Amino acid sequence: MSTVTLARCAIHAERPAFARCMSCSKMLCQECATQWDGIWHCAACLGAKRGKRAERSPAASWIGVAFVSLIFLYLGARVMVWTGALIAGLF
Amino acid sequence: MTAPWAALLVITSLPYRFLQAVFLDQLIELRGNASHYGHLLGATANMIVATVLVALWGRAVYARACRLAMARGAAPGRAAWRVPLAAFASYVLTASVVILAGYISLLTIVGFAVTVMFAGLAIGTMELNERADIFNPFRLIGRYARTVTVPLALVLVFFCALLVAFVNLAASFNLGIWIASAIGGFDAPRWPLLFGMSNRRFLLMLFAGAIMIVEPFWIAAHVVFVRKAGAEESGDDLRAWFAELRRAS
Repeated sequence: MSTVTLARCAIHAERPAFARCMSCSKMLCQECATQWDGIWHCAACLGAKRGKRAERSPAASWIGVAFVSLIFLYLGARVMVWTGALIAGLF
Repeated sequence: MTAPWAALLVITSLPYRFLQAVFLDQLIELRGNASHYGHLLGATANMIVATVLVALWGRAVYARACRLAMARGAAPGRAAWRVPLAAFASYVLTASVVILAGYISLLTIVGFAVTVMFAGLAIGTMELNERADIFNPFRLIGRYARTVTVPLALVLVFFCALLVAFVNLAASFNLGIWIASAIGGFDAPRWPLLFGMSNRRFLLMLFAGAIMIVEPFWIAAHVVFVRKAGAEESGDDLRAWFAELRRAS
């Protein structure tokens, strides 16, 4: 426990550590630690993560996802009718 | 904390569940002749598909609200509306596959239970999809399906909850009729016919209502499961515990 209480911020050595960055495992003081989606991050990792999120998916991926979804939804509607008619025919 | 979002979920699911009940009612009415009424059933099925998109959006917003409320320990506020488009598109993709699989496996009890399990994981893992991709959402679901016992246990628990909700809903309708006639002095001889178990439309509506009662808890349970399983996998649960210990010391 003593080592835990002695832990210092990786950026401000004079300050006691408050949290650990989940991405790079650096110890952080209250000023340096930022919680995002319930997880502590340092400024550098948070910036990198946000930058990565800002990357756009290629248009082909969007078209692919939309096309496959529509196909499955269409098939779902057809299979719903077929299965329904099959089950209704049993009674 | 997420009560308003649960109301949104119920409102967006209402047309979908209502049309499902209508579809089942048509099937029961047609019975053996159902195969001759493809156009009628197909039109209802198309409407169901249109309303499912609204229902999926409601689920996505509610799941996000649950996750934000859990992370912040406070009401999620307007942030819950901002469902990332990539996450929602991934959820529509996985949900459409699960819906198709659900109808195919309808006659097999085990297959249907497994499909319901995947449906839960689909909404639980929705927000982990940061980019639009055809295969990644399924990889994520597969990753969380490895601990198969918890999701299957959730299916079993929520199946029991569905039966309990159904019985409670039926009982509350009957209690309402009894109060209206005995205490309120309303003479309503038709009510027991309309809200009786012999009316199949009422039964179908009760079933749809029971699903809508259970759905918010089902989604919240899967969001929590994915969050907890992810925390255990990444060691985040230990970090949180470690931070708590430090704060306490």
